[in-house]
Amino acid sequence: MQIDLVFQTFHNRPRFRSPFKLADMTRKTDPLVHSAIREALLVTGIWLAAATWSLTVCYQMGYHRDVKDLRLVLGFPDWIFWGIVVPWTTCTVASILFGLMFVNDGDLGKDLENTDDLGLGG
Amino acid sequence: MTHLLSSVAHRSMTFAADSVSPPNVGYGAMFMLILFIVGSVWIGIIANRSTEKGGFMKGFFLGNRGLGAWALALTATIQSGGTFMGFPSLVYSHGWIVALWIGSYMVVPITGFGILGKRLAQLSRRTGAITVPDLFRTRFHSPTLGVTCTLFILLYLSFMMFAQFKAGALVLKLAWPNSDSMSLSEDAAIVAPVSDPVAAVSTAESKKPAPTEAEKATADAAAKKAEEVANFRYHTGLIVFAVTVVGYTLMGGFLAAVWTDLFQSLLMFLGVAILLAASLYAVGGLEQATMKSLENTGPGFVYGPGYMDDKTSTHEFLPLSLAISFFVVWIWGGVGAPAGLVRLMASQDTRVIRKSIYLLSIYNMGIYLPLIVICVCGRALIPSLKSSDELIPRMAILTTSGLPGGSLVAGLILAAPFGAVMATVSSYLVVLSSGVVRDIYQRFINRDADRDHLRRVAWGTMIGAGIISVLVSWNPVDFLQAFIVFSTSGAAATFLVPALMACYWRRATTKGVFGSMISGALVVLVLYVIGVFNLLPAQGIGTTKGFHPYFLLGLDPLIWGILVSATFGIAGSLLSEPLDEELVSRMFDAQTNTTTGAT
Repeated sequence: MQIDLVFQTFHNRPRFRSPFKLADMTRKTDPLVHSAIREALLVTGIWLAAATWSLTVCYQMGYHRDVKDLRLVLGFPDWIFWGIVVPWTTCTVASILFGLMFVNDGDLGKDLENTDDLGLGG
Repeated sequence: MTHLLSSVAHRSMTFAADSVSPPNVGYGAMFMLILFIVGSVWIGIIANRSTEKGGFMKGFFLGNRGLGAWALALTATIQSGGTFMGFPSLVYSHGWIVALWIGSYMVVPITGFGILGKRLAQLSRRTGAITVPDLFRTRFHSPTLGVTCTLFILLYLSFMMFAQFKAGALVLKLAWPNSDSMSLSEDAAIVAPVSDPVAAVSTAESKKPAPTEAEKATADAAAKKAEEVANFRYHTGLIVFAVTVVGYTLMGGFLAAVWTDLFQSLLMFLGVAILLAASLYAVGGLEQATMKSLENTGPGFVYGPGYMDDKTSTHEFLPLSLAISFFVVWIWGGVGAPAGLVRLMASQDTRVIRKSIYLLSIYNMGIYLPLIVICVCGRALIPSLKSSDELIPRMAILTTSGLPGGSLVAGLILAAPFGAVMATVSSYLVVLSSGVVRDIYQRFINRDADRDHLRRVAWGTMIGAGIISVLVSWNPVDFLQAFIVFSTSGAAATFLVPALMACYWRRATTKGVFGSMISGALVVLVLYVIGVFNLLPAQGIGTTKGFHPYFLLGLDPLIWGILVSATFGIAGSLLSEPLDEELVSRMFDAQTNTTTGAT
């Protein structure tokens, strides 16, 4: 009994609510909000990865080089091929896969015809 | 390598010689433009029938939230007149480095739809929002915030629209049959008369002996006459452009804007594909193009930070700091653009958003990399263009002249930028008009206005905006270009962080969002004012042409705008009272009893 009380007290303890939480991840939050956040974070990660790859490769291979060192790959300067063409192709494939397989479909809900329905007035 | 260079040199000498005399546009371009105008009006009529269904506001300004994947993918983001005008000029002037400058477009489709798309579409339904200010107003229960948004949007879009009118008029002027200059540059087109041989391209011109006094007087008279002709064509083009674009937008509203945008995007794709094949064939392959363009310029053309015509200059086109900046600017600037936000709000369902991601990915890959290749071929074929904005029209005429129906193909390629400008103006007209009708007239002047009344106000606003744009563009001022650049960055700095907060942060408050909007806009404004008026020493980075901002620590103003906007948004929200939990719950939580109004 005493143990039950301890568990109950622990369960009902006041919890710290971080103000930096994005959407509140409680059971009542709309599943579409969850999936939208997950997808937005993944997309941001893809953007960061693409930017890091392109900028690093292009800067290391393509800035202030001697023209005698110029190498062409399929007609592109090598740094453009590895720093832009390859990641662009990769990102296109990744976007297709993302659109086809990763994005969750969900109900966007019915359209609120009148904002007064929210009881906000004005 | 030497034999490669000499074979390319031999080939391209013919084209270089051709470029001495400006190519004639012929009737193909005007024919294609007229066809395009007729097509746009027809689209307006069809769109008009679709908007008749349901309520006027949602039908006319949001297409009854029925946007499909093709329409959303190929219209919601980036293509504009600049894709065929300013961008090719940059590649021609600075070389392969521009591929890095535009490189972030590889992720624009996935970021443009994946970051805000689904949630914004949901939130716009939950708030019943038809416009962006509508959404902020209801999400944060603040009419003041709604009005602030409206004022920002009216300000930014007005500037952008004025300049697009001018661009549309210029394209029509240049497509005039037997017009002998192809320049799309506003400076070249207005300051230098179109028929003036001095404005033509080749360096060969400058090698002529000095003219006598009599020759000078004759040349001056000819130049004056040519300028009058150019002005007449410009003004006629301006009126035709204004009547067409306002006319079909009046008829079809949002859907007309979207469908013409889709039409021009497909035209662009086709035009680029034809031009790519023709250019590579003409120069003999990409390897030859790169080597020949290198020979025509210097090492900067194939390496960073980019080629500069003035070889003694220490100016750098794309130092690392700016390269980093553009990976932020193109992505987050696109996500926060108000016209793009409206299109996401209009998307039909999540499947449409999902499909749009891969449709646009394929489209972008087929547009931007090929355009860079075409422009590198251009530098190989036409070594010394005085007005580099001429490149695409010149390449179109040069490379298709031997083809059957070449004039029409060239016309098709020329019609693409015109279509892009029309579509851009049309979408701005819709957003501008919705701001006035929905956020000002319906909110504050006449809440009970019926369908016909609202339609009349919408039409009046569009006609008024068209007339003002024509008047402003009649004798366009130089500062317009600065306003456009500022407006694009300013709009993103104003709306990006607030939109993210509205979509994803429960704790976001009205005061926080308000602070975020104002601070983002102010930071960008201040950095542009410093740059445009040279209030601090010149920095020697970025483009050398036109207006540019002050790059604090070498970074673009938009980055600073976003950082400051985020700081104020977060601090302002945490320091102010949270919003009513009931309101927040309606925006974020699963709905058990959704209101399905049918008014």
